[in-house]
Amino acid sequence: MKIILCSSSVPFVNGGYRNIVDWLVTMLEQGGHKVERLFIPQVDEPDLLFRQMAAYRWMDLSAADRIICFRPQAHFIPHQHKVLWFIHHLRSYYDLWDSPYRGFPDDAKHRRIRDALHDADTAALRESKKIFTNSQVVSDRLRRFNGVASEVLYPPVFNSQRFFCRQANDEIVCICRLEHHKRQHLLIEALRHTKKPVRLRLCGTSATEGYPTHLKSLVGELGLGDRVRVDNRWISEEEKVEFLAGCLAAAYLPVDEDSYGYPSLEAAHSSKATLTTADSGGVLELIRDGVNGCVAEPNPQALAEAMDRLYTDRSHTQAMGKCAQDRLAELNISWDHTIDRLLA
Amino acid sequence: MKILMFTPAIKPSAIGRMCSLVTQALVRKGHEVFLVRTENEKLLEGDTHDFGCELLPWNDTERVQSLAGQSDLLVYQMGNNHEYHFGCMVWLPQLPGILCMHDFFLGHLFWSWSDKRREEAEKILRAWYGEAMAQHYFNFPSTEAFIEGTRHEAPMTEWVCSMALGVVTHSNWGAKRVLESCPGPVYVVPLAYDAPGHVDGDRQPDNDALNILTIGHVNPNKRVDSVIRAIGQSATLRAHATYRVVGSIAPETITTLEALAAEHNVKLTLSGQVDNKTLAQAIAEADVVSCLRWPALEAASASAIEAMLYGKATIVTDTGFYRELPDDVVVKIDPDDESASLQSALERLQRNPKRRVQLGKTAKAWAAATFTGDNYADKLLEIGRAATKTQILRDMIEQLTDQLCAWGASDQILALRETIDPLRLFSHCGSDKPMSR
Amino acid sequence: MKVLIVNNIVPFLWGGAEELAVHLQHNLEVSGHEAEILRIPFQWEPATTIPSQILMARALELGNADRVIALKFPAYLVRHPQKTLWLLHQYRQAYDLYEAGQTNLPAGSMGDDLRAFIKRADDDCFKNCRRIYTNSEVTQQRLATYNGFDAQVLYPPVNDPELFLGGSDDGYIFAGGRINGMKRQHLLVQALSLAEKNVKLLIGGPPETPEDERQLRETVQRAGLSDRVKLDLRFLPRKTYAEYVKHASAVAYLPYDEDSLGYVAMEAATASKALITTTDSGGILGLVKDNRTGWVAEPTLPSLAQAMNQVGRDPARTKAYGKAARELWLSFGVTWEHTVEALLR
Repeated sequence: MKIILCSSSVPFVNGGYRNIVDWLVTMLEQGGHKVERLFIPQVDEPDLLFRQMAAYRWMDLSAADRIICFRPQAHFIPHQHKVLWFIHHLRSYYDLWDSPYRGFPDDAKHRRIRDALHDADTAALRESKKIFTNSQVVSDRLRRFNGVASEVLYPPVFNSQRFFCRQANDEIVCICRLEHHKRQHLLIEALRHTKKPVRLRLCGTSATEGYPTHLKSLVGELGLGDRVRVDNRWISEEEKVEFLAGCLAAAYLPVDEDSYGYPSLEAAHSSKATLTTADSGGVLELIRDGVNGCVAEPNPQALAEAMDRLYTDRSHTQAMGKCAQDRLAELNISWDHTIDRLLA
Repeated sequence: MKILMFTPAIKPSAIGRMCSLVTQALVRKGHEVFLVRTENEKLLEGDTHDFGCELLPWNDTERVQSLAGQSDLLVYQMGNNHEYHFGCMVWLPQLPGILCMHDFFLGHLFWSWSDKRREEAEKILRAWYGEAMAQHYFNFPSTEAFIEGTRHEAPMTEWVCSMALGVVTHSNWGAKRVLESCPGPVYVVPLAYDAPGHVDGDRQPDNDALNILTIGHVNPNKRVDSVIRAIGQSATLRAHATYRVVGSIAPETITTLEALAAEHNVKLTLSGQVDNKTLAQAIAEADVVSCLRWPALEAASASAIEAMLYGKATIVTDTGFYRELPDDVVVKIDPDDESASLQSALERLQRNPKRRVQLGKTAKAWAAATFTGDNYADKLLEIGRAATKTQILRDMIEQLTDQLCAWGASDQILALRETIDPLRLFSHCGSDKPMSR
Repeated sequence: MKVLIVNNIVPFLWGGAEELAVHLQHNLEVSGHEAEILRIPFQWEPATTIPSQILMARALELGNADRVIALKFPAYLVRHPQKTLWLLHQYRQAYDLYEAGQTNLPAGSMGDDLRAFIKRADDDCFKNCRRIYTNSEVTQQRLATYNGFDAQVLYPPVNDPELFLGGSDDGYIFAGGRINGMKRQHLLVQALSLAEKNVKLLIGGPPETPEDERQLRETVQRAGLSDRVKLDLRFLPRKTYAEYVKHASAVAYLPYDEDSLGYVAMEAATASKALITTTDSGGILGLVKDNRTGWVAEPTLPSLAQAMNQVGRDPARTKAYGKAARELWLSFGVTWEHTVEALLR
């Protein structure tokens, strides 16, 4: 089949959305298909929205048998066989309208734009032959705001065979961007309350200086320098595989995230349990308390208790790690399933 | 929502009266309404209807613009009278909104508006109706000839509808031109009306007598002479029917009609213009109200609605707005066989007082449920929401057109379907119109 | 700086321009910049869709880039205050190909309107560019003739010159490049019938369509030249291609009215190979100077046969021509370093 993968983009900003497109290109080509990718720059400002959406309407991709659209507003591209892997709305006009993230005033003009956008999105969504999302959270929003049904298709990670598992050390590892909404600080605060010599490794890049600095000073204040390692840098794939392979467990506790996030998936491929919190949103679609990880209340004491349990009850921790792979199969998180569904 | 309503406000304006029912309903529903009076400067002195909200004149430019910027919805009440709708024509081109069309034929409005704007007017005529009409329009020998010559060929409906974000009409008749020219949604909504001064104690039918009433400015359009002749043709009617006509009337017409009545032995009373109390009394005493019209120029008939709200058996011509009224609430007369049709209808009504009263009751119940301010207000809010998308689309198309024109695009290029069709996704109704400068 | 390279994408087709964009991106990064390639879909059938695609290019928001380098119509119409053109292609069907009757613009007033419109959009774009470069004199000439704008010629560099060094003379003439009617490899085969018996031909490259392949094979068959013509008709791996060039006596490249110098000619010159082309090959004549860097024949069979004969007749002279071709090419100073500097000037 000739397939074109389409996404909006922000030039020179490498968002996570690129991964799924790039990986899918490789997997589809391996399957013998001819694939092109299209990344169209887009700015979400209210006054510029509709003009850019018009641009998508004029694209002629009829050379492809099928197109798959990812980041919005790519779903506006017309095609007789359009499939969406819808990762999120333009959230400031949807579920984040009543939040400080909106970025423009709640006045008559912007409400008009918002309402028109909802209607236009709905119409474009309806043009699709099939809509997939990356999580139940996003599927629920599609139903609530646009009245359209969708199928959850969990995005796999590339080349999962490279992950492996070996004897666990004492380290709980969190490999993701160091940002406030990822809440690495909560892990540090929790460590203070632990009774067992659990250690923490927090590594990843950050968009700003502020948060990593805050983490480091927190470690200092709490006198945890010998038990917490904060690495504010890009972690290579090889390092990631290594850290996960030997860790006691992984931790991933973002605030109300849309989907489960690659960190929890990578941990599962490494046969490791994941520590998360009850308010982490999409992560809970993957992690089940006591099955393949721990779901604690989002406070330091509860997290500390969970950490101690992971440390003490090693055999259970290890068992949960093994179950992590099973859970992936349960949720059909695999490239075979992905391609199967996308090309159905 | 914050709503800006443009309408004539003075007491004599029936449109103003209708509008006041709507604004009151909107206020009751919790919306913030401001009313811009559109009557010509000299008429701004007169007494107004009670709209339940603040009024401001159309020439308070700063205030109008400021309120428009803050409003979620702009609505224009449009009719054929330029004196009354002067302010509408000033603001509609600059501040697009929802148009409520009370008349499809806007020839008089356009004529008056064209004064000192001849060249622009001819351009408009040429664009919508062609060169020939552009040449003829201002050269008809008489008012009748003008109406005859333009009401089908160049009613000027498109001229205003093309400026609107959406159009509310009060009947389907005449909607074709609206649909072809309005870029946004078009709704048919029953006119809002009430029957003030309703006199309690319906007239008990006096078995044989038949009081027939016609209301309104007496002109040939109202078929008064047809009624007189129909009565004259029938012995029963001559014996039992009395025909009262209430409304302003020219002296010549009085003479003509009285002579006609005498000739046919018909009991005719011409009351001329009366006050509201007398009018209400006349209606209360009537058994049948004749609302015949030919040709039908109005989008909807206030007097027919009023008659129904008063619970009267109503006779209408089977055309236009009247054709759409349910068959069981009015008596419809075939305009192609008016004489015979009218005579037999009146005879039947005279013979059967019970049926007359029942007809009136049915009409009243139906009219009271249909022609309400609440319903109209609800529909306005709905079309307002539907039309916001049109505005977004308009802005987008305008930007595109500007860009294309900046590169000297010919009309053919502007009209390319390949450019317009993919954008249909964004529009509410079909965009069959080419982009224009 | 953040540099955005803007090009078209015709899905599932990959050609010289796409290669160039990738190498440009790489070399910009080598020079210390951040570079990305933006590919905008373009589909020109029917011609009446062209205005909408022009609008599409215009509607894109590229605020995040410091500079834009645009290569082709309609991609170069994107809006950006710091846009440099490296003009590979205008929409020739609105210009010179229109005059030659080879256009998809409809006859009549619609075609006229589209032409005028495309020209206005082009002129507006050219006026507002930082700088305009073209990839050949031909493109430069067309821009001046049809739109009245001056541009500087900036030849695209050979991407991997080291591959073409240190060859030998294995006694065949190599004809590289895509196989289709316009590239006229079949002419060489037909001319070979008239040439001396010792002249041998190696034709290597991807056929544009299966029909093109079939026709070429048939031409060889019918002329009874299977023993003197070797056909390697596929997309050649780079190393294979370089070997073919390196070990040839001379390289023949005679497309009809080509826009640019032609990679085949540039690569042959890099490898110090004498060049054969024809008088109507367009941009190739920038590198092929008759009896100096090779031979420029008439596009006729006898004339081409003559040129091919010359190759083997005096090997020393042929070698000298090849050396001169390389010198001429080097004199143009076409390196990636220079190219990047020029494009960001």
